[in-house]
Amino acid sequence: MKNKNILLILFLFVVMAQLFVPSQMIYNQEDILNTGKIVKFQCEPIDPNDPFRGKYITLKFKESAIKVKNLKEWNSNETIFAKIETSKDGFAKIKSISRTEPTDNSIYLKLKINYITEYEGNKIYLDFPFNHFYMNENKAKNAEKVYTESTIDTTKIAYALIATKNGEAVIKDVLIDNISIKELAKANNNINK
Amino acid sequence: MSSNILNELPVLLKANVINEETAQKIKEHYSKNSDYNQNKLFMIFGILGAILSGLGIILILAHNWDDLSNTTKSIISFLPLLIGQLFCGYTILKKSENPIWRESSSVFLFFGIGASISLIAQIYNISGDLNSFIVTWMLLSLPLVYLLRTSIVSLLYIVGITYYCCNSNYFTYPKEQTYLFWLLFLGIIPHYYQLLTTKPQSNFTLFHNWFLAISIMITLGSIGDGNEKLLYLSYMCLFAIYYFIGRNSFFENQKLKFNSYRIIGKLGTLIILFVYTFKSFWEFFHKNELYKNPIITSPEFIIASILTIIAAILFYKKNNKTNFKDFGILEIIFLLNILLILMGEFAAIIANGIVLAIGLLEIKRGNQLNDLRILNFGLLIITLLITCRFFDTDFSFIVRGILFISLGLGFFLTNYVMLKKRNRNEK
Repeated sequence: MKNKNILLILFLFVVMAQLFVPSQMIYNQEDILNTGKIVKFQCEPIDPNDPFRGKYITLKFKESAIKVKNLKEWNSNETIFAKIETSKDGFAKIKSISRTEPTDNSIYLKLKINYITEYEGNKIYLDFPFNHFYMNENKAKNAEKVYTESTIDTTKIAYALIATKNGEAVIKDVLIDNISIKELAKANNNINK
Repeated sequence: MSSNILNELPVLLKANVINEETAQKIKEHYSKNSDYNQNKLFMIFGILGAILSGLGIILILAHNWDDLSNTTKSIISFLPLLIGQLFCGYTILKKSENPIWRESSSVFLFFGIGASISLIAQIYNISGDLNSFIVTWMLLSLPLVYLLRTSIVSLLYIVGITYYCCNSNYFTYPKEQTYLFWLLFLGIIPHYYQLLTTKPQSNFTLFHNWFLAISIMITLGSIGDGNEKLLYLSYMCLFAIYYFIGRNSFFENQKLKFNSYRIIGKLGTLIILFVYTFKSFWEFFHKNELYKNPIITSPEFIIASILTIIAAILFYKKNNKTNFKDFGILEIIFLLNILLILMGEFAAIIANGIVLAIGLLEIKRGNQLNDLRILNFGLLIITLLITCRFFDTDFSFIVRGILFISLGLGFFLTNYVMLKKRNRNEK
């Protein structure tokens, strides 16, 4: 009986740990969404199915690289901090990258270097952790279509609304000409019916 | 099978082949066995049921019910986890002696943990880092192996950490050199030890023997860091260690299917030996520009040295009893590693000689033991060796043709002679 009690107490600890991890995830994301700064990342044409997490659209961002003077300083797959500024058209732009976390009040993202190329004049391409936007499985296909069309159509502007805090980021929404892609996919779904 | 025999019992009784007492014993024997089989079936279906329903819940939640708010969706994401925890809690309290409950509830919880994390990732659009996801999932599941004494979760854990190691070392470029896998691996050893000592004959032990041996075989390469060519040496020693473990009296007394170490050790050693027989391999091996880091301090060299020492100790332990009078060539090949490296391309010729010798000795052993499988295994080794030599030597077609015909005849003749010998013995 004593053994069983010890077992049960240990099991309760494990249960707490198992509940803690997803709760912590939720808390972090909610915190970023509620108190983080909002930036807009303009999107490019791209695409999707994750067996565990369902259907999503893949986002590709126009602003995904930065020119640097000395490529040899950097390694691919390395974690860096990218300072973000808002350009005149209202979209986010990568201002600089550094290995140390910015301490001023600027907006920055903790990213990984995707690859480095000399081809386009010493460019470093960054990997954004927020490139999947999960959708209802019935709407994902339409959303993808709407998204692709809008990124090819130069008169339409597609962008992702990102909340950031302390280098972490969460997608709030993906919008096309200021209308949420969820709404557009829903409308498109109704027309197809 | 058993029902056939049971149906035959009255006939056998009538014909006085067996007496009443024997009939009763046979009946008892099969009724015990059928209980055992039924339990095993229950176990399999229990585990399958838990896996299927767990996965089903994940799929339903993955539909992404976008009419629901994030909060509602988050709460629902906890469902698979909570259900799993409830079942496991109940099992610990009420059914702790029932393996079916232990295995199926913990396997459900195992998937529940993964499901909750990934569903929350979906709600908040976290594409996430697959490596840290798997590590978190495995670490949260590992305690179940010990608290609920569950072997299925232990097997899934081995698969999970092996996949993690492959993903971070082989599938990512540039690779993330981490040794975390080995720490995670240590986590499962006490359970394996417990299985070996308490249930050496169970199917779970059988699966663990194979899963663990294969897992290390796959992940050993992950230590490579610039001097990958040295890994051949480490693998040769690893296979030697496997072989010695397999020849240990504990495994030697079990059925061959339980002895993953002996099978993998023997085949692995032979495969590397075959690689060694190629001249071009040694040319490649001695190209200095392919070594990116200083050899002595590289992890490849250190691990190869450690494995050589372990293999040497095992070799000594095994053969000390017989005063080193009775050991096979296969057992000292790992030591030849050192000599072969120093020889340059000449090593290829030695390796050819060794493979040929192993082939011939297997044929001899097959003949002595009157075992066709061993005999043909020996012949197969020689055939493969000759086939390999056709790639890097310049024999004329006539010579090659004659060699193949003689090999074919060799197969026929040896098998024929042995079968004839067997028939004679039976008469």
